Amino acid sequence: MRFPYGPAALSMLILSILSGVWLAFNPVPPKKATLVMWTFAKTHYDAYKQAIPSFEAKHPGVKVDLQLVSWQAVTSRLQAAFLSDLDVPDLVEVEISAAGSFFRGPLKDVGFLDLTDRIKKSGLYDRMVRARFAPYTSRGHIFGLPHDVHPVMIAYRRDIFDQLGIDVSKIHTWDDFIAIGRKVTIPGKRYMLELPDSESSRFEPLLYQRGGGLFDPQGNCTMDNEIAVQTMLFYVPLVAGPNRIASDLGGGQIFTRAVEDGYFLCMIAPDWRSKTIEVDVPKMRGKMALMPLPAVYPGGRRTSTWGGTMIGITKHCKYPDLAWELALHLYLNKDDLAQRFRDTNILPALKEAWDHPAYDEPRPYWSNQPLGRLYAQLAPDVPFQYTSPFVGTAKGKLSEALVACVQYYKQHGDKGFEEFVRKRLKQSADEVRRLMRRNPY
Amino acid sequence: MATRPTDISLTPTRAARTSRWFVLQYKMAPYLFVSPFLILFFTFGAYPIVKSLILAFYATNGPKSAVFVGLENFRFLLSDSDFHKAVWNTAVFAFWSVFLQLPLSLGLALLLNSRWVRGRELLRLAFFSPNLLGQVFVGVLFSVLFIPQYGLVNRFLHFVAGVPLDTKWLANPNLVMPALVLTSLWMYVGFNMIYFLAALQAVDKDLYEAATVDGANAWHQFWAVTLPGIKPVAVFVLVMSTIGSFQLFELPWIMLNNSAGPDQAGLTIVMYLYQTGFVTGDLGYASTVGWTLALGVLMISLFQMRVTGAWKGGD
Repeated sequence: MRFPYGPAALSMLILSILSGVWLAFNPVPPKKATLVMWTFAKTHYDAYKQAIPSFEAKHPGVKVDLQLVSWQAVTSRLQAAFLSDLDVPDLVEVEISAAGSFFRGPLKDVGFLDLTDRIKKSGLYDRMVRARFAPYTSRGHIFGLPHDVHPVMIAYRRDIFDQLGIDVSKIHTWDDFIAIGRKVTIPGKRYMLELPDSESSRFEPLLYQRGGGLFDPQGNCTMDNEIAVQTMLFYVPLVAGPNRIASDLGGGQIFTRAVEDGYFLCMIAPDWRSKTIEVDVPKMRGKMALMPLPAVYPGGRRTSTWGGTMIGITKHCKYPDLAWELALHLYLNKDDLAQRFRDTNILPALKEAWDHPAYDEPRPYWSNQPLGRLYAQLAPDVPFQYTSPFVGTAKGKLSEALVACVQYYKQHGDKGFEEFVRKRLKQSADEVRRLMRRNPY
Repeated sequence: MATRPTDISLTPTRAARTSRWFVLQYKMAPYLFVSPFLILFFTFGAYPIVKSLILAFYATNGPKSAVFVGLENFRFLLSDSDFHKAVWNTAVFAFWSVFLQLPLSLGLALLLNSRWVRGRELLRLAFFSPNLLGQVFVGVLFSVLFIPQYGLVNRFLHFVAGVPLDTKWLANPNLVMPALVLTSLWMYVGFNMIYFLAALQAVDKDLYEAATVDGANAWHQFWAVTLPGIKPVAVFVLVMSTIGSFQLFELPWIMLNNSAGPDQAGLTIVMYLYQTGFVTGDLGYASTVGWTLALGVLMISLFQMRVTGAWKGGD
C-alpha cells in the first residue's frame, strides 16, 4: 500500500514518531542541585570541577551543579534570567566589563546580594587586594568577591631582544621603551609593541596606570579628564603616524603567527594573558620573558590591570549562607589557588595565598623566570578601577574617541592634535553623561 | 380531552442528542484544529508584541522597576547618536547589498538560464550553496579571510593590485561596511538567483517567439518580455532583501567579534536593539528601538511596493 502523501512525508512521519518514542523513553533527568553555579571561563570551570567534590564532602547532601556558560552568553542569559525570574543561578562568575551592567536601577532591584557586610566581617576586605573590590562596588555596596588581581607586565621576545642587544633592565620609563622601539621597528615587518588603533582594550590599562579611569568612585564619568587627555596624547602616536612603534593584527592563529615571525616584539600581558600566550604560541617556549610595565615618569607605577572576574550570589539563591561558603571554598583555599595558578597563571586576589611556593617556581616558557613572584610583587600597586552601570557604553565611546583621534593624527599629525583630543574625549564623555541623566532611578 | 402540555416530553430523544452533539462537533472541529496555532500565536506572538509596545513607554530595569516615562524613550531616540549611527549603517548596508545583489542575481540567473552554458545544474548548486552555510559559519569564514597580513583577501589583493598586506578590513571603520556587503553578496546572490531562475522559466515561451517574429532583438526581448514577466518576483526579492538587510545581526556580530566594530562602523539596528535590551538590560528603550524598526521597515516596504506598482495586480 502506498502512503497517499508520498515517500518524503512518510519518512518525516516515521522520523517524528521514532524521535518522539525515543524522547518518551529517554527523558532528561531533572537536576536537583542545591546550588547552581555559572562560570564563563573554561580554566575556572576545570579548576572548580576539581574543588567542588571536597565542598560536597564537607556538606553531606549538598549537590553543586557547575555550568560553563560562554562569556558572551553569560551577560545576556543572566540579564534575561533576572528579567524573567527564571533559570537564575545561585552563584555566577561575571567578567569585569559586564559586571557594572547588573548594578542598574534602585539598589533593592540589583539581582545580586549585597556582600559588603560579609566581606568586612570576614576580614576579606583587608586580606584581599582592596583595589579589586572597586569594579564590583556600586553606590558603596560590594556585590562581588574578586577572583583575581590581573597585574600587567610586558611579555617580550627575549631571543630577539638579546640579538638586538636590548637590555630590559635599563628600560624604566615609557620614554626609554619608545626610544628603543623607534630603533627596532621596521614598518610593515616588525613592531616593538602590539597595540590596537581601533578599540580601547589596551588603552584602558594605560589609562589606569596613570591613575585615570572611565568613572570615579562616585560613578561620575571621568573619561575626558586631564589624565585621559594625556593618555590619548601618549597612545595615539604609538599606533599612528610616521613614528609609530605599535601595530595589531588580531587574535587567534594570526597572533600566533605574528609572534613566531617576530612581527611583534612585545605584548601587554596581564597574568591571564601570559597563559594565553603559552598556549597559543607554544613554539616560543624559552624564548619569551616578562618585564614590568615602563613607568609614566621615573619612579612611577610599573603595572596596571586588565580584565577581571567576580563571583556574586543572586537574590534568587535559597541558601545564601551555603553559597557564600562555596564562594569562599573556591576563592580562599591556598592549595587549590596554588594549583589553579599553575594551571592558569592567574594571581588570586587573596594576598596570603602568594606565600605558597608555587608562585616562586621557575617557568621554562618564560626563560625560567618565577612568573608568580614577578606578578605578585606588582600586585599591591594595581590601580583602582571604578565601575558604573554605564561602563559598557563608556568603553564603546572611548573606542570611538580613539578611532577619531587616530584618524585625525594620521591626517594632520601634531597640528591641533591636543585640542582635537580634548574636544573628542569631551564629546564621548558627554554622550555617556547624557545617557546617565536619562536614568530615572 | 385535550392533551395537557405537561404530557409532552421535553427531553430530547437519544438520537436528537447525538445529532446535536454531532452538529456541535462539526462546528467546533475547525476551531479545535486551528487552536494549537492560535494558542502558540497568542502566547509567543501577540502577547510579546503587545507587551513590547507597552514597555516602549517605560524606563525599565527588569519587571520590578519599570517607571512610566510616556514618550521619553521616543524623544531620546530622536537625539540618540548611537541609534542614528545604527540606522545609517543599516541603510547603507541595505542600499549596497540590495542594489548590487539584485542585478547580480538577475544576471547570474539569465546566464544560468541560457542553453549555451555547460554544467548549469552544477553551477546553480555552487552559487546557491553559500546560503546553506548560515550566517554564523559565513561570518567566521570571512573574518579569517579578511585578517590583515596573512588573510587570503589581502594576499590576493596585494598580488593583483599592490594593496598593503596589513590592510585592516574589520578594524578600519571605512572598510567594515564594504567587507560586510561583499560577504553578504557572496552569501545571498545565489539564493536570489534561484527566485529569478524560477521566474524566468515561468515566462511564456510563445511571447519570445512572437517577439522574434516581430523583429525584436535580444535587448528588446529582455526589456519588453522578460522584465515584465519576472516583475512580481523581482518586487518580492526587492522587498524581502530590504527587510532582510534591516534585520542584519549575526553576520557583523560574528565578523566583528561580538562587537559593533571600530567606531561602531558595523552597528546595525538589530544589534543595537540586542545590546540595549540584553547587554545593558534596558528593555523599555530596546522595545522603542524595535517598534521604530518595525514601523520603518513597514513604511519602506509599502513605499517599494507602491513605486514598483505591485498593488496594481492583474498584469
